[in-house]
Amino acid sequence: MTSIKMFEKPIGMRDTFPITYEKMEAVQQAGRKFLKARGFEFVKTPTLEYYDTVGKASAIYDASLFKLVDSQGNTLVLRPDMTTPITRLATSKLLKEKIPLRLAYFANVFRAQQLEGGRPAEFEQAGIEIFGDKTVYADAEVIITAIELVQNFGIKSFKVTIGHAGVLNCILNDYTENEIQASQLKSLLVERNYVGFEEAVISFDLPKTKSDALLQFINEAANIETIEQIEKYVSKNDSLLYMRSLADLIKQANLSEYVAFDFTLSSHMNYYTGMLFELFAEGSGFPLGNGGRYDGLLHRFGSDVGATGFGIRVDRLLEVLSTTQSNEKTVAIIFEDSEFIKALNLANTLRTEGKLVTVQARNGLVDEEAFVQVFDEVLYVSQEDQEQ
Amino acid sequence: MTELTIAMPKGRIFEEAYQMLIDAGFNLPEEVEMSRKLMIEIPEEKIRFILAKPMDVPVYVEHGVADIGIAGKDVLLELKRNVHELLDLKISQCYIASAGLPNTKMNEIAPRIATKYPNIAMNYYKEIGEQVEIIELNGSIELAPMIGLADRIVDIVSTGRTLKENGLVEYERITDVSSRLIANPVSYRMKSARIQDIVTRLKKIVN
Repeated sequence: MTSIKMFEKPIGMRDTFPITYEKMEAVQQAGRKFLKARGFEFVKTPTLEYYDTVGKASAIYDASLFKLVDSQGNTLVLRPDMTTPITRLATSKLLKEKIPLRLAYFANVFRAQQLEGGRPAEFEQAGIEIFGDKTVYADAEVIITAIELVQNFGIKSFKVTIGHAGVLNCILNDYTENEIQASQLKSLLVERNYVGFEEAVISFDLPKTKSDALLQFINEAANIETIEQIEKYVSKNDSLLYMRSLADLIKQANLSEYVAFDFTLSSHMNYYTGMLFELFAEGSGFPLGNGGRYDGLLHRFGSDVGATGFGIRVDRLLEVLSTTQSNEKTVAIIFEDSEFIKALNLANTLRTEGKLVTVQARNGLVDEEAFVQVFDEVLYVSQEDQEQ
Repeated sequence: MTELTIAMPKGRIFEEAYQMLIDAGFNLPEEVEMSRKLMIEIPEEKIRFILAKPMDVPVYVEHGVADIGIAGKDVLLELKRNVHELLDLKISQCYIASAGLPNTKMNEIAPRIATKYPNIAMNYYKEIGEQVEIIELNGSIELAPMIGLADRIVDIVSTGRTLKENGLVEYERITDVSSRLIANPVSYRMKSARIQDIVTRLKKIVN
């Protein structure tokens, strides 16, 4: 065993340096303003939750949870996502006061990383949740808000792909012989293993019409422009009609160009009961965010009012955003020992002009030349100045 | 047309896959000079190849520095990277098997398994409920049973000649392997038209 060095942090934990902090702060401010203007109220939940409640209900794999034990012997988790704690908070209190309920958050979540030590195990997430509205309008609002939020950050090249758990389950059940086959195909889709899907379909030895339909489905369904293209696989049902009206609402909002449908989209958690979507942007190799309807999770917390929402990873958002030049000016006032008050007064005047002013005694500087280089402007306050 | 970056393993698979792309109608030069090059630009098709170690291809693709790539199923199973597996190219077909000295039984307490694929081996023995000790080696795996380091090896078998030449026999066939076309999840969406086009055209060549 090698001993831990003094500067080391636990695997996946990161310091935030000033430049990143400012960038993050700017994103948070812009995001908060945007979401508040749309009627979302911000909430905060505790960092620690019980494993048996939030930990187990969460969509995050068990192996990714940071677990610890409290003084009573209960297992606790560092919150791995925000949807589950907010669902707890909404079902236990807020829904009794207001329904439907629109909540939003900016929060850090914790997920232990299995691969490559440097990947963040703690990161910021931003998101919204709408509780207590089961209409298609709530889902449309979530998707439209996600798109407009991304646009609000100035991202031009991005894509939302939408699927529906009900439609997919219907297709998988209709064209397979039993539930084991259907769930095997579903987990291959969660892994995005299209090759494995085809191999499995062939190995099932299904009647030709069924296997042909599944093979054609896997070829087409991941990238379809209109809902009509999927209709030949499904007998008319509510889920399909739902997706039709959702597509229609997005079209009315004039956002169709950002949206594609993928009916192979599937989550390993079965609490996604309706539509679900993923958000991608150019500039990051990893998805920016995801969302969907999770009536099933609410059910676990004893409520049947339904919920839908999305979350965006702020660290990936920062990666995608171009660096914006701050227009705040930094000023250093370097003063001689006797001129302390004069320096303070000068600093206060400059601060009222919106400048970021550092007051520094000259005697306290080790390397003056290096110090002044990081400022936009440097002012000296000394005896001689006064005389001039 | 958007620029597309393709990660390819060096060597024979590159040549075979490259030929498939030519057969699929891509306008690529017949001969590529790739002695020590790590990147090949094809401006006519707006394609850039990056040449990597086979084990590294899924890493490039997962991080999105390559939009798509060609990787062996063995590598995909071993690394479990988050990539989309789009198409079985059916080239460099082989399989993973366990092998050992003829007429030997595995040590009863904790047989030792030497392999280049510790995750695949671990998962396989876990599934059949066998308690084993995995020894990771980087090459010449066949040596391990011969000199008594391991009871079994888990390795790629294509013709079986290497096993035979080293006096080993195959015991269990674990899984089939061939080269797959994989894609980065974001590229798959952002460059979906280009990637779909490649998949459709290659699919015709495969079948």
